[in-house]
Amino acid sequence: MQAQAPYTPSTMIRVVTAASLFDGHDAAINVMRRIIQSTGCEVIHLGHNRSVREVVDCAIQEDAQAIAMTSYQGGHVEYLTYMRQLLDEQGAEHIRIFAGGGGTILPSEIDQLHAAGITRVYSPDDGRAMGLQGMINDLVTKSDFIPPVDAPELLADRVKMRDPRAIAQAISCAERGRKDLVAFAVGAERRPVLGITGTGGAGKSSLTDEIVRRFLLDQPGRTIAVISVDPSKRKTGGALLGDRIRMNAVSNERVYMRSFATREANVALNPHVADAIRILSYANYDLIIVETAGIGQSDSQIMEVCDVSMYVMTPEFGAATQLEKIDMIDYADLIALNKFDKRGALDAIRDVRKQYQRSRQRFAEPLDNMPVHGTIASQFNDPGTNTLYRSIIDALKQRCSLDWESSFSVSDEMSEKIYIIPPDRTRYLAELVEENTRYDARVEKQSDIARRLWQVNGTIAQLEELRSAERRRK
Amino acid sequence: MDIEKSTTVTADLAPADAQKLAIDTLRTTATDLEAQLDADVRHLLKTWEEKKAQYRGEHYTYTVRGREIKVENFTESLSHTRIPKVALPNFKDWGEIVRWCMQENVPGEFPFTAGVYPFKRTNEDPTRMFAGEGGPERTNKRFHYLSKNMPAARLSTAFDSVTLYGEDPDHRPDIYGKIGNSGVSIASLDDAKKLYSGFDLCAPSTSVSMTINGPAPMLLAFFMNAAIDQECEKYIRENGLRDEINAKIDAYFSDRGLERPLYRHGDGSSELPDGNDGLGLLLLGISGDKVLPANIYEECRQRALTSVRGTVQADILKEDQAQNTCIFSTEFALRMMGDVQEYFIRESVRNFYSVSISGYHIAEAGANPITQLAFTLSNGFTYVEYYLSRGMNIDDFAPNLSFFFSNGVDPEYSVIGRVARRIWAKAMKNVYGGNERSQMLKYHIQTSGRSLHAQEIDFNDIRTTLQALYAIYDNCNSLHTNAYDEAITTPTEESVRRAVAIQLIINRELGLTKNENPIQGSFIIEELTDLVEEAVYTEFRRISDRGGVLGAMENMYQRNKIQEESLYYETLKHTGQYPIVGVNTFLSSKGSPTIVPDEVIRSTTDEKEQQITNVNAVKVRGGDAADTALDHLRRTAVQNGNIFESLMEAAKECSLGQMTRALYDVGGQYRRNM
Repeated sequence: MQAQAPYTPSTMIRVVTAASLFDGHDAAINVMRRIIQSTGCEVIHLGHNRSVREVVDCAIQEDAQAIAMTSYQGGHVEYLTYMRQLLDEQGAEHIRIFAGGGGTILPSEIDQLHAAGITRVYSPDDGRAMGLQGMINDLVTKSDFIPPVDAPELLADRVKMRDPRAIAQAISCAERGRKDLVAFAVGAERRPVLGITGTGGAGKSSLTDEIVRRFLLDQPGRTIAVISVDPSKRKTGGALLGDRIRMNAVSNERVYMRSFATREANVALNPHVADAIRILSYANYDLIIVETAGIGQSDSQIMEVCDVSMYVMTPEFGAATQLEKIDMIDYADLIALNKFDKRGALDAIRDVRKQYQRSRQRFAEPLDNMPVHGTIASQFNDPGTNTLYRSIIDALKQRCSLDWESSFSVSDEMSEKIYIIPPDRTRYLAELVEENTRYDARVEKQSDIARRLWQVNGTIAQLEELRSAERRRK
Repeated sequence: MDIEKSTTVTADLAPADAQKLAIDTLRTTATDLEAQLDADVRHLLKTWEEKKAQYRGEHYTYTVRGREIKVENFTESLSHTRIPKVALPNFKDWGEIVRWCMQENVPGEFPFTAGVYPFKRTNEDPTRMFAGEGGPERTNKRFHYLSKNMPAARLSTAFDSVTLYGEDPDHRPDIYGKIGNSGVSIASLDDAKKLYSGFDLCAPSTSVSMTINGPAPMLLAFFMNAAIDQECEKYIRENGLRDEINAKIDAYFSDRGLERPLYRHGDGSSELPDGNDGLGLLLLGISGDKVLPANIYEECRQRALTSVRGTVQADILKEDQAQNTCIFSTEFALRMMGDVQEYFIRESVRNFYSVSISGYHIAEAGANPITQLAFTLSNGFTYVEYYLSRGMNIDDFAPNLSFFFSNGVDPEYSVIGRVARRIWAKAMKNVYGGNERSQMLKYHIQTSGRSLHAQEIDFNDIRTTLQALYAIYDNCNSLHTNAYDEAITTPTEESVRRAVAIQLIINRELGLTKNENPIQGSFIIEELTDLVEEAVYTEFRRISDRGGVLGAMENMYQRNKIQEESLYYETLKHTGQYPIVGVNTFLSSKGSPTIVPDEVIRSTTDEKEQQITNVNAVKVRGGDAADTALDHLRRTAVQNGNIFESLMEAAKECSLGQMTRALYDVGGQYRRNM
């Protein structure tokens, strides 16, 4: 089989990828999403065990052209047909559905699914005939179109009603340069914007998810929109928009989420994020969160679009002097020191607070007053994250003159890791190897001693035999 | 050199004196050497001949939990050859004897390399077949079919994916299509009672394994309650209370305007399958505590808990590393595992394994045998460390741990049990100070599903046979042999029968299996054992450098390694460097095409509807009692109480999905990774 060249899309294609509900088989979709991305598409990956509703809501909010699913646990006919049905019901007939499931999807079922409006189900034979890139080229070619904007004259009204499809289309219009279609949003009263930025791997999206979860619990009836920006690959133009995979709380009718790729090098923000904020303000979301790619120098771009800014980092920044290089410490209203269970966290928080204090010359205040919070977002109901959430709400209330009430309180309770393995036992495997190899060494040594003893005893017996033989001769 | 020297020293002496001097010197050396021998080594040398003699007599006698067991040492072949059950080496050299006893030893003695028990059970083959499809009634029928004429009922339960993810059957199409497919749908205590009906769950000859992880505590609570209610039913039957209780139950349901639940097949018939005497069905829809006096119920409860035999997989670490059926945050899931184990200790649940630490899924996801073994054992030691940190005593929980490996055709699979047992025993003894029972690693083997191919599917039985042979020669404690058609579809009764026959033929026909340590003493087996053991230690060090198992998981170390190894295999398979007969070499004249089944056994609409109706009935019936139980469950979780204890009560009133949701509120949902 000859290696096939990737297809070059003529439009910016957005594809949602996931594995079916109650299905943990994610190996195939992980291979596929990588190839889709390297073929120049923006991939919004949801991971495994996703309900039809979650995938459909995501595809609509993201204004995607296509959904690519795998299903290996059965029930694919019902699953995919239902997906088509939900998309169509919401007027998203244009969103293509692609699927694969190896031998678990029978040829007769493939026909049935094609007849039901599934664009293409790839069989193992297709895989052999087309190759991986060939399959993806087929998928991308069939998705290479500009998603429609229905009834542009009604767009403003539908955005106002917070119709997720209208919001998605309006944001896409802005991104495609059709500012005329979204002119309605210019001059909309700006809603509060929380900007979140930070280094890659600091746990930004987990923390964002935890903030959204608390907001939904704490502010009944209020709505929230999340804009998440990830970098585009310069080489292929594709991007992996991976924040949604971490977000459990966004599957809620009070939440709208949209993922952006930067589409430009060396920027942390897509230039159209400002348009998106205007559109979401027009839709009257109570809070807008903008989460950006942490690529160092450009982090502080977020300051241009937000009312309250938060910087997420971990205790693993190295020496305290490294902090002097971080722009965001000078600018951010709040800092979350996430993964607070890491070694040296207490020293780290002191150093970050000192740097925060120094950069603002707030030497008259106690160090503990600096808004730097230790958090462990990965831990359920983490007290540090509760405090951080309340501090965010307070900052927003103050900055944007809001009259919100919050049942969360700022407490001195520190995030404390509930250890599965106590810290002083983390070397257990190395210790075990040492102990077992010590046993092996003892076996070898004892075995040698026993052998020599046996040989010596044998020699003694031999000599004694000689002696008694000689005696007999005498 | 040395010899020359000694001649010069003794040259001046008269020969007789020289000899005497030499003997005296050697005697001193011998005394010195003997003093250098550790007490245990001296003991094993002293008892070696005695030990050998035990296997030469007609019988071998040993004790298990205070009971004396007498086993015949020999079987006779058709040619009247006496085949020893355990063959011992003819070493004379003490060095060899010491090394053999300390690294190999006879089956049943430390370090248990050759096996954890002195002899195999004679009344029970290790056969354990995995089954599950449709509703509980259909799987119950399959279980009775599989265990017909077998001296022991060893059931292994496959659950459908709705159950695996802790949800209830529902009409929502993305759920509906999965009800009762690739496993049985179990959403309530009633479902569990039907599933195992006609098997006495407290009989020593019954053992039940459940392949469930995310919602394992809930399914385990269903199972335990089913066993308790069976004990209640036995009491009712034995004391002639059947009619009285029946009337009581009828009244209970009619008072509430509810229908009494029934055992009913998809086609509407209520006929019990061959072999099912109906035990477990009397108390459908009600638990024993509602019909029996409290003291009687308590006796039944204790009797059930102390006698049930089986295994629940519940291995959350490998789920996060390989298989993805996580529903709760890993920390919360681990905490519940600890709660289950604590409950087991408190209630003296001695014959049930609280976890089956599994390498199977790690291997199926693509890991090679060394990685499978290293990851699985390291997960096992992580549970040990966690349980110890919760204050449990090693000897109270280590015997409740069991293991589960895949057997493929790689050479390392011939020694996977030997290495696992040896590493575990050494660590348990020397690191954790565990007693003999703690040192014994018991494991189940399933032949590799990944090694089955959709081309020339008839050849799959040959692969399975070879893998089963590896497993049986290596003294696995239980074994599942895959059906040849599993690569393309759900196995049929016919293909499953053939798969069972593979085991029976090896166990009962193949003459060499009359011997129980056939691979001991082979040069290659010994060398492979050492090589694999060393490779596992190397992997342990790598994991340790990453902060232990949990630290490595944070950086997805295990996941990435499994993927890399999978890719390596696929590449070699694709290029043909790794030959697979009928797949990439030795193709038939037609090119050995992929076999596509005409149809696949799927659950019927009737079965799906019935499961939905039944679970909805459970929810209606639960009412306030269910709400109270769920509140108690949430409160227990928040107040750091024993969640499993609370689940044992909630399971009587609530559906699986109700319990799962209540726990999401207080424990957090699993967050996916990329």
